[in-house]
Amino acid sequence: MAPDLVRNIVLGELHVSDEPGLVICTTVGSCVAACLFDPVRGLGGMNHFLLPDGAAAARDDGAQRYGVHLMELLINSLLSRGASRTHLQAKAFGGASLTRGLTNAGASNVEFVEWFLRVESIPLVGGSVRGTQGRRVQFWPNSGRARQMLCAPIEVVVPRSQPPAVQPHGELELF
Amino acid sequence: MTYASHLDILVADDTAVSRALLCNSLEELGFTRVRVENDGKAALHKLMQKPAHLVISDYNMPGLNGIELLRALREFQATRSIGFILVTGRSDRSLIDEGRKYALNNYLAKPFTTIGLKASIEAVFGKLA
Repeated sequence: MAPDLVRNIVLGELHVSDEPGLVICTTVGSCVAACLFDPVRGLGGMNHFLLPDGAAAARDDGAQRYGVHLMELLINSLLSRGASRTHLQAKAFGGASLTRGLTNAGASNVEFVEWFLRVESIPLVGGSVRGTQGRRVQFWPNSGRARQMLCAPIEVVVPRSQPPAVQPHGELELF
Repeated sequence: MTYASHLDILVADDTAVSRALLCNSLEELGFTRVRVENDGKAALHKLMQKPAHLVISDYNMPGLNGIELLRALREFQATRSIGFILVTGRSDRSLIDEGRKYALNNYLAKPFTTIGLKASIEAVFGKLA
């Protein structure tokens, strides 16, 4: 059996294909990889995005427009190659919370993609989101099959900023 | 006095979220007479029945794309003079040049901002108060 053709994508990219055996790969942490496919046409695609502005993203107009634009690019690429909007199905991966002490950008990305798919009436039929680990995602666009491998957890703790130490000398005025 | 509350606008976009974003921005700018359609053919049909002052249309749509809709509108007396702003994610100059052949009034690049939308409307109809 011939080995799968591999197409790797990184943040900000997308790829669409109907080639049997081709697998699209990416690695996501707090980013989201949205996989859309038309099982009737045998065509699918994956994007990899991160909304700007962390936790506020899902409620921020500018960030929303950016995310919508990226999702539209993927949908338009699929439709222009013969996919039917009514057949589209989705799988979503990523949105992990990797850093304690920082805003939860992962949750905002997941919140956004789930909202987008709901409004566009594209059923979310699978995937794996949130959690605390990165994911290596493989997606076969021709069949819609997807697989993930969890990355080893990374413990990143951002320390709280300490108040500046008061010098033992000098004057201190209290209000 | 601003013309925002008197302008009949039709928004044509096949992506529900984009339609909602455009409508929110238009509402924010004071436009109250806004209709929506989710594909080019439906937009043309509705505009033939009841013309608007302005069409804000996505490029990628089923049925008729944004340029095809513009071209069709320019063919009929009743819809010939409708203002037309094309919203597109493609920064393809040839697409804009194609639109100019059919008297495209302006275009708006995605992802757009409310300020960008305001500026593109003002370039066609003049300053909003």
